[in-house]
Amino acid sequence: MNRRAALALGLLLALLVAFPWMAGAYALSVATLILYFAYAGQAWNVMMGFAGQLSLGHSLYVGVGAYVAGGIFYHWGIGPWAGVWVAILLCTLLGLVIGFLAFRFGISGVYFALLTIAFAEFTRIGFDHIPALGGPGGLFLKVAQRDTIDLAHFRGPPIMYYYAILAFTVLAFVGCWKLLNSKVGYYWQAIREDEDAAQALGINVFRWKMLAMAISSGMTAIAGVFFAFYYNNLFPEQIFNISRSIEIILGPIIGGVGTLFGPILGAALLTLLSDGITEAFVAMGWDVPGIKQVFYGVVLLTVIMFLPNGVWPAIAKRLRL
Amino acid sequence: MMLEARSISKSFRGLRAVKDASFEMTEGTINALIGPNGAGKTTIFNMIAGVYRPDAGTIVFQGREIQGLRPDQICVAGIGRTFQIVKPFAGLSVLDNVMVGAFLRERTAPGARKVALEALDKLHLGPKRDVPAAALTLPDRKRLEVARALATRPKLLLLDEVMAGLRPTETDQMVEVFRALNRSDGLTILLIEHVMRAVMALAQHVGVLHHGEVIARGTPQEIVKDPAVLECYLGEETEV
Repeated sequence: MNRRAALALGLLLALLVAFPWMAGAYALSVATLILYFAYAGQAWNVMMGFAGQLSLGHSLYVGVGAYVAGGIFYHWGIGPWAGVWVAILLCTLLGLVIGFLAFRFGISGVYFALLTIAFAEFTRIGFDHIPALGGPGGLFLKVAQRDTIDLAHFRGPPIMYYYAILAFTVLAFVGCWKLLNSKVGYYWQAIREDEDAAQALGINVFRWKMLAMAISSGMTAIAGVFFAFYYNNLFPEQIFNISRSIEIILGPIIGGVGTLFGPILGAALLTLLSDGITEAFVAMGWDVPGIKQVFYGVVLLTVIMFLPNGVWPAIAKRLRL
Repeated sequence: MMLEARSISKSFRGLRAVKDASFEMTEGTINALIGPNGAGKTTIFNMIAGVYRPDAGTIVFQGREIQGLRPDQICVAGIGRTFQIVKPFAGLSVLDNVMVGAFLRERTAPGARKVALEALDKLHLGPKRDVPAAALTLPDRKRLEVARALATRPKLLLLDEVMAGLRPTETDQMVEVFRALNRSDGLTILLIEHVMRAVMALAQHVGVLHHGEVIARGTPQEIVKDPAVLECYLGEETEV
């Protein structure tokens, strides 16, 4: 990273830290949503962007993470700082099971993607049949005290959630940056580019793919825990839905798969534009259900046609970063 | 003995690609395996490189049986290889391509970078280190294949038709590179090659394959005079 890039990063971080004091409640909720998608997108990017394994079922880890930490809080009143570890452990194990099934038997590409969808789908159906977690009726966490910060139970005003997800996004960014510039990052990219050539250079392809799976699913579990405590209500039908997986991966795809900034930029662009369009339609008195999905489609098509590598690589080239 | 193949065989759906082939390579030598198309050269290459497991026979590398190991284990053991159809990591820079290889014996990025730069220098690719591999010409891609394999610090280097598609002057350059590697680093080399110009200039020992069998072994000078070799492979028109 050169000095200009470091300076730009520092400025961006300062802006994000100061943001809650400059913005209203609505802007803060939009910013929280952006950071949530930036974080989850970064986690997905480890698998697809770095190691080249297309997962279309990351809602699985969001959902399991959310239900595990949410369930522990709901039943025993234990805050997420304990629950998050259980969530990470369980999601990492799930990821490793899926990875083992796929990579041991040489399943890759679209077939791997189908496998990830399948796991998310039958987990969704499974959670419909767990009465202790509310079944299809949903699990509702006690609504937060909005005026006092209770860090131990992760209950508090929106600003607390904003800073929490900002911290996780920064950590994820730094972590991914470190990974990408070390042996493991080089190995993942080699596997992404050409598995045979990677193997001929002494890379145990199976082992490193499993590591990508473990890190990505474990990271995504944290997104799920955040989701549970921020939104307070969980429904299997929603949280494991494939549209949730798609939402996670759109950011990195628009921003630039395999880049560190892509997931952040993509999440910001998508959330700002789609919320902006929805707001504009409401302001004009039009009620168009599904306008957000139509918008996603249009943006995706445009980016694929004109910037097939995503928005960020084009910008980085212009700025000569 | 660097590498020894003891009567290895391999069949594909009943077709015997390699029959009872035996050969050996001593440390620090340059060896070539030649033969017409379909003679089984690439099959032998792939058995050494861990892509295929021999149906019968053993391959001994530095006193250890290696047949049936995975390609990555073969590389860890100390055998580097190139691909006939080059396989660059297209999205990575030339330097990053070679660093992937260097990470086999280096833990840190600066260490891998140093090893990679040395390998690039040996192949005269230093000035192109920041170019994306996708932008390289074919001769440069072939050099990149070699540099990447070298960065894994092999004791034995397997070259699969690395001269194919090169112009005569480029071939001569490559020959010089391999001579230098052999002389200064003591690298043992096995090349599978169609380009006789390179084989004659480079190899100290040549094995000739025909229909999956080793029909002759010797120095290049002995081989070109061998009647069996002349009949099946080199033919009348070969100039040496």
